Amino acid sequence: MDLFLQQLANGLVIGSTYAVVAIGFALAFTVLRVINFAHPDIFMVGMFAGLVAAVEWPALGFLVVLIAGVLGAGFVGFALERTVIAPLRGRDVLMTLIGTLGVAIMLQNGMAVIAGPDPIAYPALIPRRFVDIGPVTLTLRQVLNFAICLALLALVSIYVRWTPWGRATRAIAERPDVAAAFGVNVARICQFTILLASMMGGVAAVSVGVLYGSAHAFVGLLYGLKAFICMLVAGNRYFEGVMVVGLAIGFVEALVTGYVSSSLRDAAAFFVLIGVLYFRPNGLFGSYAT
Amino acid sequence: MTPVLTIRSLAVSYGSVPAVRNVSLEIAPGELRVILGANGAGKTTVLKAILGLVRPRSGEIRFRDGTDLLRLKPHEIHGLGIAWVPEGRQLWNTLTVLDNLKLGGFGDRDKRAVDRRVGEMLERFPRLGERRHQVAGSLSGGEQQMVAIARALVSAPGLLLMDEPSLGLAPLVVREVFRLVREINEMGISILMVEQNANQALKVAHWVYLLETGNIVESGSAATIGAKESVKDVFLGGHA
Repeated sequence: MDLFLQQLANGLVIGSTYAVVAIGFALAFTVLRVINFAHPDIFMVGMFAGLVAAVEWPALGFLVVLIAGVLGAGFVGFALERTVIAPLRGRDVLMTLIGTLGVAIMLQNGMAVIAGPDPIAYPALIPRRFVDIGPVTLTLRQVLNFAICLALLALVSIYVRWTPWGRATRAIAERPDVAAAFGVNVARICQFTILLASMMGGVAAVSVGVLYGSAHAFVGLLYGLKAFICMLVAGNRYFEGVMVVGLAIGFVEALVTGYVSSSLRDAAAFFVLIGVLYFRPNGLFGSYAT
Repeated sequence: MTPVLTIRSLAVSYGSVPAVRNVSLEIAPGELRVILGANGAGKTTVLKAILGLVRPRSGEIRFRDGTDLLRLKPHEIHGLGIAWVPEGRQLWNTLTVLDNLKLGGFGDRDKRAVDRRVGEMLERFPRLGERRHQVAGSLSGGEQQMVAIARALVSAPGLLLMDEPSLGLAPLVVREVFRLVREINEMGISILMVEQNANQALKVAHWVYLLETGNIVESGSAATIGAKESVKDVFLGGHA
């Protein structure tokens, strides 16, 4: 039982990060009908922006590094929306997919040229300390990462459910033409959606960098793949559904690691994907028609 | 008196397929005009062109003092005071009734006024008041049509575009909807409605246009149009 609870906690920590990246995917896909393959690499840029701030200004602390991650990721997200997504929005989904994939490749390889292809140590901004919660032991960094990701997910949920712009975001997701005809500036909401997703990715990226103590030019690949699976498994009808699936995938991975084999960990998400889509092709919580 | 809306020689195509070939019409303040036409005649396309949701191939659409709607984006057109009751309601089904109504006033900066009008709508339609926290997709067809109409009224429009408000509703509900249409018009809101239900539409309309394969082929008062044999045959089942 202790092992189960420990793996549950480990799974929720990693799953919460998947959920944050997956929400970024889901926001872009649901609102803009764009599969933003550059999103995981915007996450990576956020991680490096935080790293640079932490190395350059080590005395400023974790909060400032987080802000640097937000600004770095937000800037790249904004530029991506202006230069690639906005001009291609409304065209065939494959065009934006290829466009964002191109940006993803440029970001990955560009960062590999600048920082090198190998992992770089992330400054230890949070002390190495253990926290006991009943039979479960987590590091302070894990607890912090989980808390940050959970806060981000809660903020997104509050945003889409309780604010006028959030309501407009959901309105665009369901019926973009009707939303426009009722006074919603669709282009502006789309722009903000990409910015929001990118900035959230930046926060999560710094947190993950601190958690694992390293940054890597290709780190987005792993998180992007898992997050994309989360979105497909959940469907894009409810953002909260994507969050729940993100947490669940992390949990399943942790269980596989704990009870089966760590080498099968990354395959677990694919088994879940195949199993769910076989029975529910529109995802567990349903999808909007595109 | 300056018309609320003037359309001249409107032509719209979807790719190479013409949907509207030559439509000219105008609506004076406080008028209720109806475009009657069969499926595929181009009725909805005319409304979508006014709303900026499709771009015409040629022609002009002007609002009130001559504002060229073809130069504006849909949200800017809504800001002028043009609201829409779409065909088949097209509510945001995953949002609550209350959220649907609030979104009706999204473009209005005076949020207090929007909240007040939302409150008025919930009082005017008590069924919606009872179900305001229910998702719109779970309502009956008649209730959904009430939400669609209330959503449009929340923006306090000067011109209301109604696309087949009777579509898919039970006869009793249809009568209720048309009673409401008349009431809205009596409040001073100009209405351009497209319909296939000629029986009901002719009872409320001040002026009627007949649309066939994208062309206005006849226009006149409801009495004149209702008396035409062709209209009786096509829209009234051979009896007026």
